[in-house]
Amino acid sequence: MPYLGGEETVRELRRALSNPHIQTDHLRYRNTIHRVIRLMSQGVDVSGLFSEMVKACATGDIVQKKLVYVFLCSYASVNPELSLLVINTLRKDCSDPNPMVRSLALRNMCNLRLPGLCEYVEQPLTAGLKDKAACVRRVAVLGWAKIHALLPNTEIDAAVVNELYGLLRDPDPVVMVNCLRALEEILEEEGGVAINKPIAHHLLNRLKECDVWGQSEVLSVLQRYRPRSEDELFDILSLLDPALLSHHVPIMAATLRLFLSLCSMLPAVCVSALERARGPLLAAAGSSSRELRYAALCHIQLLLRSEPGLMGEHYKRFYCGYAEPPYIKQSKIQVLVELVNDDNVAVVLDELKGYCTDVNTETSQAAINAIGSIGRSYDDRCLGILTGLLELKQEHITSAVLQTLRDLVWVSPQYGDAVCSALEKWEDQLQDTQGRGALLWLLGVYGDRLSGAPYILEDFIDGVRSEVSAEVKTELLTATLRVFLSRPAETQDMMGRLLQHCIEEELDMCVRDQALLYYRLLHCGIEDVRRVLQCGRRSDLSLGPLIGRPPEPISQWASIFNTLEPLMLGASSNGFQFGNGPELEKALNMLSFPCTRVWFLKTLCLFVVIFQAYVMCPVPRCSPESLQVALQLVNIQTLAFTAPNKLPWKMYLYTHSSHTLTPHSSTTPPNTLILAEVLQFTML
Amino acid sequence: MSVSAVFVLDLKGKVLICRNYKGDVDMAEIDHFLPLLMTEEEEGVTCPIMMHGNVHFLWIKHTNLYLVATTNKNSNASLVYAFLYKLVEVFTEYFTELEEESIQDNFVVVYELLDELMDFGFPQTTDSKILQEYITQEGAKLEVAKTKVPTTVTNAVSWRSEGIKYKKNEVFIDVIESINLLVNANGSVMSSDIVGTVKLKTMLSGMPELRLGLNDRALFALTGRDKGKTVSMEDVKFHQCVRLSRFESDRTISFIPPDGESELMSYRINTHVKPLIWIESVIEKFSHSRVEIMVKAKGQFKKQSVANNVEVRVPVPSDADSPKFKTSTGHAKYVPEKNLAVWTIKSFPGGKEFLMRASFGLPSVENDEMEGKPPITVNFEIPYFTVSGIQVRYMKIIEKSGYQALPWVRYITQSGDYQLRSNF
Repeated sequence: MPYLGGEETVRELRRALSNPHIQTDHLRYRNTIHRVIRLMSQGVDVSGLFSEMVKACATGDIVQKKLVYVFLCSYASVNPELSLLVINTLRKDCSDPNPMVRSLALRNMCNLRLPGLCEYVEQPLTAGLKDKAACVRRVAVLGWAKIHALLPNTEIDAAVVNELYGLLRDPDPVVMVNCLRALEEILEEEGGVAINKPIAHHLLNRLKECDVWGQSEVLSVLQRYRPRSEDELFDILSLLDPALLSHHVPIMAATLRLFLSLCSMLPAVCVSALERARGPLLAAAGSSSRELRYAALCHIQLLLRSEPGLMGEHYKRFYCGYAEPPYIKQSKIQVLVELVNDDNVAVVLDELKGYCTDVNTETSQAAINAIGSIGRSYDDRCLGILTGLLELKQEHITSAVLQTLRDLVWVSPQYGDAVCSALEKWEDQLQDTQGRGALLWLLGVYGDRLSGAPYILEDFIDGVRSEVSAEVKTELLTATLRVFLSRPAETQDMMGRLLQHCIEEELDMCVRDQALLYYRLLHCGIEDVRRVLQCGRRSDLSLGPLIGRPPEPISQWASIFNTLEPLMLGASSNGFQFGNGPELEKALNMLSFPCTRVWFLKTLCLFVVIFQAYVMCPVPRCSPESLQVALQLVNIQTLAFTAPNKLPWKMYLYTHSSHTLTPHSSTTPPNTLILAEVLQFTML
Repeated sequence: MSVSAVFVLDLKGKVLICRNYKGDVDMAEIDHFLPLLMTEEEEGVTCPIMMHGNVHFLWIKHTNLYLVATTNKNSNASLVYAFLYKLVEVFTEYFTELEEESIQDNFVVVYELLDELMDFGFPQTTDSKILQEYITQEGAKLEVAKTKVPTTVTNAVSWRSEGIKYKKNEVFIDVIESINLLVNANGSVMSSDIVGTVKLKTMLSGMPELRLGLNDRALFALTGRDKGKTVSMEDVKFHQCVRLSRFESDRTISFIPPDGESELMSYRINTHVKPLIWIESVIEKFSHSRVEIMVKAKGQFKKQSVANNVEVRVPVPSDADSPKFKTSTGHAKYVPEKNLAVWTIKSFPGGKEFLMRASFGLPSVENDEMEGKPPITVNFEIPYFTVSGIQVRYMKIIEKSGYQALPWVRYITQSGDYQLRSNF
């Protein structure tokens, strides 16, 4: 960081630090050191004062010592040779009668982070493990973990490891927990601390003595323990049971996780543990800290994937407060959708309706999406709310509503009439790409019923030159062709213009290719066009597994419970929460119409993109088996796929180009095998 | 949990103070924090967890500071947040106000605290009572005597030192209940609950053994008594001094109290209570000309109780001007920076009803920006009264030396998150 006069100040400080008058005057000496540390905190490079500061650590004043150590630890890596000078002082401090000084010296000796100094540190650390003051033992135990982190390739002496195992029985609970932490780090390659029966029971018995942090640590280490018999398992469970109701959220969450891992074979016990922990979980979701509230909400979303009924009657606890930040509101909305049942649907919809006009665009879109997905299983009240929102004439709301309507009628075609009547008097202009895509899709599908459809399309076609989004253009092509099928007279002319533009002037290859495809398709005859564009796999039951979400087994997520991951999922799933059926349908339809190999690969790319949005981003929502069945319907065969929880997740696909369906490409050899690899990129 | 480093940043993203605990994440990574946050804010999708490369930032905001923890492991997020809040709590106890200035003025103590609170990414001594015994703010004075390790670091009773002496032995008990309420625009109560805390101010000598008796319904059911009013508490949370095993077996709250002020327990009661102060509002907006607001406040509590410092905060459009108020009691004022009309009533007896009318002018050119519909919020305080009816039945104080000590009890009910949605 540039700091005016930095060098001058450093020089002045060096003079002051080496001035014997100041050195003898405690107060002035200490104030000079304060100035150095303050500059360091402000980002000024004061590493040049290292040798002067080394001298300053030989003092009886403990606060001064601490400050000098802070300085030395920050700059040791820049001055490895000079750091050697400190070691002597530190080692002398390690045998100081005052335990505070001993622990301070020991801690900072390891914090210098210089691999070259490790040999000097080992001896005081070994002595520290046997120190009579607990605070020194605490530091010494973690010191070994620090040494291991510095020299990951050298083995820590087996005697030390044994000593650490012995210290698990230390009277001081923090020493015990630090031992666990250190052993976990040192023995990471062997899979962490070996937890046998005596150790497990010892830890369980001393659990109550630890503080919140310690208890969480012990509980998470205990996950690796496998009780020998069912009796022992149930003894442990009943011992831990009260902790499920603990009002320290971290302890409750750690206990719940331990329960889930101990009882992975006993789903009934898991479910009852979840029910026991419901109260504390709800309390956590109402916690006064918004971050903890968010963490709790993300975990509740995880639980609801397996036990959708768990929080049903407590839906009111997930109502949004006005001042809550958008990320909390959005998670709450997602939870509310899961909690809808016959009794509360009306109330929840009312509440969600209020969120649709939220100032934050994302939140209002999330609320609109939520209403749409409730609409899949509940009456047309949802539709009333959605069409009502169109009248607000707010751009982002309209766009979100159109997308939601598209997804909704795709799953529940019975809403078609209502959607048509809402679109009948459409005359707005939309800027948003996604919204326009959705509008075009709706126009294409309901072109026969919407009297104004060709006119709206004409507007789009007239403006196609200034259209930037390829997505809208491809959507426009499909929509125009669909409308052409039902109303040829009105559409033929503009379709011609559109195709001409897209084939001759368009620069985007995807749009051009699609236009060419449609052009050739039209040559094949109207029946073929109809088959490709209107056979519509709309609300095909076999696609159910891709849209719906059957309850998952608890084991699917138990391993990530109470870690960072649910929060990352919560953050990433916002965009993909509710699937985009029509896009998938389009991709599948394209695939079912085999043309050239190039076209297939291109479509497959599109498909892969959608597939990613679908299957992986939030977390795989459907099992590979059901995906396989869905893909077989469109002549894509699965060669192999990796196990569901493996990352990166891969799937190998192939297809035959069957000549019966390809009249104009009969020259290509039959049975072309095309292989594709779908790769799931890891989120974390 | 494992935290690589902890940073305290100012609002511009400049590091005020930091501490590298593990050394496995580059300290320069923090430079990415604010730009990431800014992009998220622009897109309206802020999130308390952010990622850059394989480094995760977990952050909280307190006054004009960001507290950020970095980690590159899949560690326990809620524990990290809990730790960051612990930092805030400890710093606040040291400096009364945690903000940029107090960090800069006290950087010596902050360094010392960061050193004690965590080692190698694992929380160590986090109890501020204990920390205060050996890290004092008088660090600037030269004294060598206090470098003694406090007994509490190794003591069995970690929250209380031995040898405390008072001339007069007293203990003050405050029972504070705050009401959270959410009322829909059409006047139906959507949710309401009571969050109670029992606070202690202990001024007792030695190592006294205390027992607190409440009219807890579960306890009365256990002992088979059913006289008088009882209260059933949920989510009961205790200070670490309370023996949880005894509470679980026979609902007895027994403990050795920490010295001075502390929060003994907190609980939540999920019963439907009648809203203590009920608000009816009519807000009429005549586009391009004016807004008329009529608010009626009704005290729905016992006649002998009085609510103090009642504040009804009514949202008004951000482009409103020329306020006019008429109130039947108290006074009202316009707070333009918060877009609120605040009606203050110093004392509000139970059963009474008051009225306020307000009118604002609106500009003829309409504001394009969409505004949310903020709710009406109410603040109040009712002394000598608890909504839930919870009572301290006894407080027994036993000490080896056998001194007599007096317990003092005080009750108070106040508003928590008290919101009534408006309809305008």
